Amino acid sequence: MPMVLLKCDKDIPEREKHIYLKAPDEDTREYLPIANAATIPGTLSERGCAFCGAKLVIGGVLKDTIQMIHGPIGCAYDTWHTKRYPTDNGHFNMKYVWSTDMKESHIVFGGEKRLEQSMNEAFDEMPEVKRMIVYTTCPTALIGDDIKAVAKKVMKDRPDVDVFTVECPGFSGVSQSKGHHVLNIGWVNEKVGTLEPEITSEYTMNFIGDFNIQGDTQLLQTYWDRLGIQVIGHFTGNANYDDLRKMHRAKLNVVNCARSSGYIANELKKQYGIPRLDIDSWGFSYMAEGVRKICAFFGIEERGEQLIAEEEAKWKPKLDWYKERLKGKKMAIWTGGPRLWHWTKSVEDDLGIKVVAMSSKFGHEEDFEKVIARGQEGTYYIDDGNELEFFEIIDLVKPDVIFTGPRVGELVKKLHIPYVNGHGYHNGPYMGFEGFVNLARDTYNAVYNPLAGLAGVDIRVPEQVAPILLREAA
Amino acid sequence: MTAEALTDKVDDLYGYVQERCLWHFSSRSWDRQENIDGVLAKAGDMLTGREPVLESPNDRLQFAEAKSMVEDFRERFPWLREAGDEEIRQLLDGLKERLVDIAITQSHNRELKHHLY
Ligand code: SF4
Repeated sequence: MPMVLLKCDKDIPEREKHIYLKAPDEDTREYLPIANAATIPGTLSERGCAFCGAKLVIGGVLKDTIQMIHGPIGCAYDTWHTKRYPTDNGHFNMKYVWSTDMKESHIVFGGEKRLEQSMNEAFDEMPEVKRMIVYTTCPTALIGDDIKAVAKKVMKDRPDVDVFTVECPGFSGVSQSKGHHVLNIGWVNEKVGTLEPEITSEYTMNFIGDFNIQGDTQLLQTYWDRLGIQVIGHFTGNANYDDLRKMHRAKLNVVNCARSSGYIANELKKQYGIPRLDIDSWGFSYMAEGVRKICAFFGIEERGEQLIAEEEAKWKPKLDWYKERLKGKKMAIWTGGPRLWHWTKSVEDDLGIKVVAMSSKFGHEEDFEKVIARGQEGTYYIDDGNELEFFEIIDLVKPDVIFTGPRVGELVKKLHIPYVNGHGYHNGPYMGFEGFVNLARDTYNAVYNPLAGLAGVDIRVPEQVAPILLREAA
Repeated sequence: MTAEALTDKVDDLYGYVQERCLWHFSSRSWDRQENIDGVLAKAGDMLTGREPVLESPNDRLQFAEAKSMVEDFRERFPWLREAGDEEIRQLLDGLKERLVDIAITQSHNRELKHHLY
């Protein structure tokens, strides 16, 4: 089966190159959706902007850093508080948002003074905070504000602060992916190597591309502690700004999210000779495999086996309880990109779920190579899907649950299909052994929750309500 | 071993790598080639009873990847236990050919040859 032109796309036939239905005996040598390409006019994309990719996904996770957004207030609000990445210092990053709040006069006369004033004001208001990232946005990039020069001046005036600049306005790329790239490359070139870590273990690594979504990083950190591995930099879950300046001293880079953070791992290999190990942190068998590989690298295999045995003894029976009840259910995954290939086999192997459709907002062709290699036949693989396509695909594959973000989630709720937040999670963490049981529980709760059914009937009429409430929750 | 039997066995190994591994789909064609060559060389050492060289950090990385894969190969494909050195070499050569073909030579990924990351 070649690429698919959906009925709703008849007036934008270019979309055919972005939607693939996998057939038996086909592979990516024959068909690979075009990805990381400009959104086609006429399609209502679900993508975010390039600035969002830098700030919301990576920079904004840091727990000790002021995120100064040089632009109108909307750029700040749109990238604040929509992801749940807690920290162990009281969630500083989620409590505050900073903006230069550019107005017309600043656009006309230039915003550099405004930026300098805002940076000083923020440091004055929070005297214990000494680190800052400054971001340009579309309007301040268009008027040519030189944020690097302003940052230099502020650092000169305040010798105890350190500022990193990200020049990645919304229009600078086709999706949030460009922002990941700009931040990764800027950081490795400007900040890595500027501080030395205190080495406390002979086994050191960076954990790259996990953002402590509902505690993912903190859960996995308990494993690294038990294994005696020192994590020098978590890029960027629950991390301090200065930790990430020391990443050059790790012996190994372990990469979870290859899309948002693969660039820094590649550069750390190129510039510092640190090898890159890609793992999947979601799912029992994947997590065990990841632990085994890390331990094999360091030659501490027995410790790894012990940890896996302890975790499996504790969590496997719970996972199996859910597996028994979720077997055969159909799932759609409409997220950013890598979670497609991280999840499709893990929910299949660990929970017996069949993934019937997957859509990626900002994945690259590499992500589609990975997911088509792992995913099932008869499954749709979509790049940059839009709402009408989602509706049509739902009719075609009839999923029992959809893992996606809250905005698309609201759409599918109106069709009385349960959704689980595939970005910020419902009740995470979802990584690791315990985390995958949480994912299983949220999936079970979504699939068997009577609310979706009740939303489709007149709840004043007992005859309509009864069959839904009586439906056996397995 | 007949050509057909060899193809069937290479199919099994290839199916495993496609389903479980990420190293052959790294960012650029030279990374892919390096990983395919390195991991399969270490796997060859392990499967034929040679001690893999672990001098550089990259050696250790490829060893870690290969170790997991070889353990799974042994568990999933019992016929591997009976394979002699020559057969192992043929199987891994076949696997390498298939991986290079899908991940490099015939890949449609437009980023593979970009000189920057
Ligand atoms: S697209 Fe531009 S103006 Fe809009 S939120 Fe992104 S940076 Fe701000």
